[in-house]
Amino acid sequence: MAAKAPDSGGSGEILPITPSLSETTSGVTAASQSTQPPSSSSDVDTVYVPSYSRWFSWTDIDDCEVRSLPEFFNSKSSSKNPKFYIYLRNSIIKQYRDDHPRKISFTDVRRTLVSDVVSIRRVFDFLEYWGLINHSSSSSAKPLKWDEKSAGDASSEPPTTVKETAKRICNGCKSICSVACFVCDKYELTLCARCYVRGNYRVGINSTEFKRVELSEESKKVWSEKETLQLMEAVMHYGDDWKKVATHVTGRTEKDCVSQFVKLPFGEQFVKESDSEDSLEAFDKIKGSADLESGGSDKEGSSPNKRMRLTPLADASNPIMAQAAFLSALAGTKVAEAAARAAVTALSDVDYEAEKNATGDPHRQDANANSGGDITNSERAWADAKSLIQKEEQEVEGAIKEIVEVEMKKIRDRIVHFEKLDLEMERSRKQLEDMKNLLFTDQLNIFFHTRKARKSEDRVDC
Amino acid sequence: MKALGSSGWKGPVKFRMPTAENLVPIRLDIQSEGQRYKDAFTWNPSDPDNEVVVFAKRTVKDLKLPSAFITQIAQSIQSQLSDFRAYEGQDMYTGEKIIPIKLDLRVNHTLIKDQFLWDLNNFESDPEEFARTLCKDLGVEDPEVGPAVAFAIREQLYEIAIQSVASARESRLSKKGRRGSDHGSASKASGLSMDLVKLFSFKSSVVRKRKDLDVYEPVVDLLTSEEVDALEAREERHAR
Repeated sequence: MAAKAPDSGGSGEILPITPSLSETTSGVTAASQSTQPPSSSSDVDTVYVPSYSRWFSWTDIDDCEVRSLPEFFNSKSSSKNPKFYIYLRNSIIKQYRDDHPRKISFTDVRRTLVSDVVSIRRVFDFLEYWGLINHSSSSSAKPLKWDEKSAGDASSEPPTTVKETAKRICNGCKSICSVACFVCDKYELTLCARCYVRGNYRVGINSTEFKRVELSEESKKVWSEKETLQLMEAVMHYGDDWKKVATHVTGRTEKDCVSQFVKLPFGEQFVKESDSEDSLEAFDKIKGSADLESGGSDKEGSSPNKRMRLTPLADASNPIMAQAAFLSALAGTKVAEAAARAAVTALSDVDYEAEKNATGDPHRQDANANSGGDITNSERAWADAKSLIQKEEQEVEGAIKEIVEVEMKKIRDRIVHFEKLDLEMERSRKQLEDMKNLLFTDQLNIFFHTRKARKSEDRVDC
Repeated sequence: MKALGSSGWKGPVKFRMPTAENLVPIRLDIQSEGQRYKDAFTWNPSDPDNEVVVFAKRTVKDLKLPSAFITQIAQSIQSQLSDFRAYEGQDMYTGEKIIPIKLDLRVNHTLIKDQFLWDLNNFESDPEEFARTLCKDLGVEDPEVGPAVAFAIREQLYEIAIQSVASARESRLSKKGRRGSDHGSASKASGLSMDLVKLFSFKSSVVRKRKDLDVYEPVVDLLTSEEVDALEAREERHAR
């Protein structure tokens, strides 16, 4: 089923007045803070749909629906298909809007829908969460948490504040850490940023063990790559729970996280609209990182890049690589595929022209790894096949040359043979001529002899 | 070793609802503190068990029942689910069974009477789809009829599935060592099923006989409120 994310609201029967309830521009994350909208719901006929549910359409299924209710879309059972989901969803919403503004209860709905009750409940909860049913514009109630914990469980964990520590000395290079520090609690190491990136730590310690600690004021305003990555990871995991996001991103408060997320250049593209810009960006990043990866370590190549499980890739010591991987996850499979394909083409051309040695393969493998495993082996095979084809062409040309030479030789031999024969013929003819001449002379001699003999006979007779 | 008997005989299948979705019909009838709660719905047994309590809480909250109902509802659902699960490990013989399913239910103001044939062997059958189509085709306005129809069908299928498990067990116990061909006849002996071979043979036609036409036609009646009250009173009397 097509999973578009239409920007316009539902059908024309409803007037969706969308008060701006959320700060985020993306349609994916639901608002955690719901402010009071200016207009009150005095008019019974208008149904309010919150701005974060603008994607809703009677005939289409949006991505967030696919993600929240995967059971209808994974084709495990024949009757739990998207059509059935649409039936449930539309019936529930219709029923709610028929009786608007009265709130509809789950039991009302479940009694009227032909389905097993748990599926109904899931769709109902989903719709209620997204404000498509039972949405009262004066709701000050906290929306349900993403993983359905009870509302009382809203204890806020204090976000990790910036550690105001004294000057720290790096264990690796014995210099004073200024900008940022990486702390490994397990082995009690403190490394400066440079040492951490260079991998200047003991063998056996994984880069995941390190936690970043902010030191200077300056770093507060500038978001590093790692922080951005953590932010995006956290948002994908926790959705709109900014407290959790803040705890995941070390050293940033909630506000910082939210504002940074909004400022992110591809914050817009969260809504699955892939431009060529995005793919170009991804392409550049992939190319750039492929150049950087000199050792060709493919620790990323093996791990699958599912949407939610970013940590294996995101923890790469090369933040640009990791960001590229994250981007490709963000942009969706199609864009990532296109970008990776373009990258692979470019790289394979370069490889072929330069030399076909071992360095060609890690490049390609990196490009493939960057695409996050979305590109199948067929891409690599395609590049290999191309070089093979060219080799074959050369071979064929060589073979043709040989054949032509052989033919020429044959002809030459025949000519030689012919000449020999010709010579033989000449000789024989000459012989024949000689013999003819001899014969003639013999005949002449005989004639003369006979005449002489006859003449002498005549003389005798007289 | 099972020998191949008659053409209609199939090997035993693990027990499950003979429908595309393995859903269990759950019936609730709880009385407590002077209030009576009757309900019927379908449940998916593969859902996690905490859903039962969640559902019970939701229902009690929505219907404003006293909270004592929560545990009772949850218990009832759980026991029916565990009954179902107890059957799940066992074999059932389905054979070539086409069974008539009868509907005779009253939902609010709508009365439905119907009878139709259902293929028990069709494990892709969908009572929900059937119920939805039935309501749409007959122009039933009350949306609560659909679920009731689906539930009724499921209940009957469930009954028959249970019977086939029981008969399978019986036949295995009593006819140990005999050839497998007898199993087919055992399932047919339930009396409900129709003989496919006879039905689709040369002599008879697929077209239904006239006298059966009325039986197999769906009837939808809309009752007035007084009739509804009268029927309800009669049902109560019967229940006691």
